[in-house]
Amino acid sequence: MGAAAHIARPDAATRLRAAQEVRARQRRRTRLFLLAPALGIIGIFGLFPLSIALVYSFLEPGTYGGVEWVFSYDAYVQFLFERDIFDDTLSFNSAYLQIFGRSFGLAITTMIGTLILGFPVAYFIAARPPEQRNFWLFAITLPFWTNLLIRTYSMLLIVRDEGFVNLMLMKLGLISEPLEMLYTDGAVLAGLVYSYLPFMILPIYASLEKFDFSLLEAGHDLYATRTQVFRHIIIPITRPGIVAGCVLVLIPALGAYITPELLGGGKKLMIGNLIALQFGSGRNWPFGAAAALILMAVVLIALLVSLRAGASKEGGHG
Amino acid sequence: MIDVKNVTKRFGEGQAAVTALGDVSLTIPEGSFFTLLGPSGCGKTTLLRLIAGFELPTEGEIALDGESIGHLAPNNRPVNTVFQNYALFPHMSVARNVGFGLEMLKRPKAEIDSTINEMLDLVQLGEFATRRVDQLSGGQQQRVALARALAPRPKVLLLDEPLSALDLKLRKGMQSELKRLQHETGITFVFVTHDQGEALAMSDQIAVMSAGAIRQVGTPEEIYTAPQSRFVADFIGDTNIVNATLLGFDGDAAKIKFGEGTPLTVHAASTSLSPGPVHVALRPETIHVVDERAETALLRGEVVDSTYFGAGSQMLVRLEDGVSVHVQVSTPRPVGSRVGLECDTSMLHVLED
Repeated sequence: MGAAAHIARPDAATRLRAAQEVRARQRRRTRLFLLAPALGIIGIFGLFPLSIALVYSFLEPGTYGGVEWVFSYDAYVQFLFERDIFDDTLSFNSAYLQIFGRSFGLAITTMIGTLILGFPVAYFIAARPPEQRNFWLFAITLPFWTNLLIRTYSMLLIVRDEGFVNLMLMKLGLISEPLEMLYTDGAVLAGLVYSYLPFMILPIYASLEKFDFSLLEAGHDLYATRTQVFRHIIIPITRPGIVAGCVLVLIPALGAYITPELLGGGKKLMIGNLIALQFGSGRNWPFGAAAALILMAVVLIALLVSLRAGASKEGGHG
Repeated sequence: MIDVKNVTKRFGEGQAAVTALGDVSLTIPEGSFFTLLGPSGCGKTTLLRLIAGFELPTEGEIALDGESIGHLAPNNRPVNTVFQNYALFPHMSVARNVGFGLEMLKRPKAEIDSTINEMLDLVQLGEFATRRVDQLSGGQQQRVALARALAPRPKVLLLDEPLSALDLKLRKGMQSELKRLQHETGITFVFVTHDQGEALAMSDQIAVMSAGAIRQVGTPEEIYTAPQSRFVADFIGDTNIVNATLLGFDGDAAKIKFGEGTPLTVHAASTSLSPGPVHVALRPETIHVVDERAETALLRGEVVDSTYFGAGSQMLVRLEDGVSVHVQVSTPRPVGSRVGLECDTSMLHVLED
């Protein structure tokens, strides 16, 4: 009996260890299976094309589009300098920087616009009784049921010279000549704000949904005015939602293509249009690829800096 | 001193209006521990919110030290609240939570810092100043909420069922803690609870409320030993309410009899009752069990149940008229036996309905 127990004990321990290893292997396998589809898609449709763009940006443009397999960093030089056709001397050219600047300006203004318009909407929805919220969220996502292109075309009909707005203003006798609204920065901005507003509302709503509204009473009770409650309580607590909304609006707005193309009439280039142009009639694929990568790098750096700043601010409280 | 004068609060309008408080008047003495006690929906929290300023009265006036405050916003009243769910600011450290009120009042930094330290010492959380509030236990969060509300030195501290989220042991500890804080600071505490044990243990005065009205105001002893109405007697402790016949009054004392028994002289909540059937309050601990045929027995019945609770047993005795009475005894009689119940007549109390 005693001997049998002695033999049984190491056996049980070994079996336990074997079982533990099986469990660990299963866990690793499960994780791999769960991640595999996403990794596959990111790899095939994200990293692979990006590598192609990276390679192309260091090649020479083909005469009829495409690339010549000759190494060159001309595409990056071209971004800042103009090469003289005759003597190959470089002179500084800010044309593309200006397009970048305009794009950032428009994208940041869009972000601020959607924030100012979107925050009150998100707050309004979060303050509804729970059974009413779904209706309002449904209303916010309704535009997604229709293609962005169609929606942008319909905006075009509204703001053009013979459009709804001008007709109404002229009917009312406020103006005699149609206001030129189409193909202006204002039209592009309005289109961008309209297109990206839901991307601001939804993350802010998500952070407000969990918001404990008794904190507002606590703030008022502790002598804070309504403005102070907004500044010291609502804003800091919903900051993650605000940051997420800003990122979700700023980045796609920077690369926007359809809206500036239709409402800006292609006259006012944004980065997206510039890049598209290089792969189309511009026939300068390396330059298009370089512009796309520069944009990506700038966005990445800006994002990292802002996240770092947000994190250190958060840490300051604790 | 808080003076609530003829305050009515209705929620909603027209047909759908609900009256939460109907013409309530109340005086809360300065520096006292005052409890609003009642079942849920009785209007006690509404009254608290009216004093805090989260709601404005539909009618009536609220005055603090003679000055009308009923119309002021919460941030303009020298009154602070400890919320039921604490409502601590999750994005701030313990210290910033405690200092928030003073910060909003634009007090000098040095004063804020020293008050934060003082308050955290008062609630014994000195070493937790830099913690985030979500790193604290429920009891600690409770203390932070107290420190935060006390830091601006309000004239009145309102407490909305602050102990209801704590477990029993912590709650007992916080009861004496609150009592101590009230004593040390001298601030008027207005405490809302539905727990009669809590109210009796802590209060200088209790206002018992039901259905948007105040039923009785008094010291815990008065409320417990001399409930005026059936509602108050029923709500405070395990009071037995038995039927009797009122024969008349002799000065302030009432003459009653149980069944066909001998007339007794007892206390009465009011001398305006008319002779006939009345209810009499009978505390379980004042009843003695005697033999059924004993001459001193005022009531007779049959033991229908007996529960052991450690310090003794609680017997349930069904009287001849079908009313059941709880009795506390050290040695219970067997279930089914017939007993007589004897009671000090000075502990009997005729109730208003």
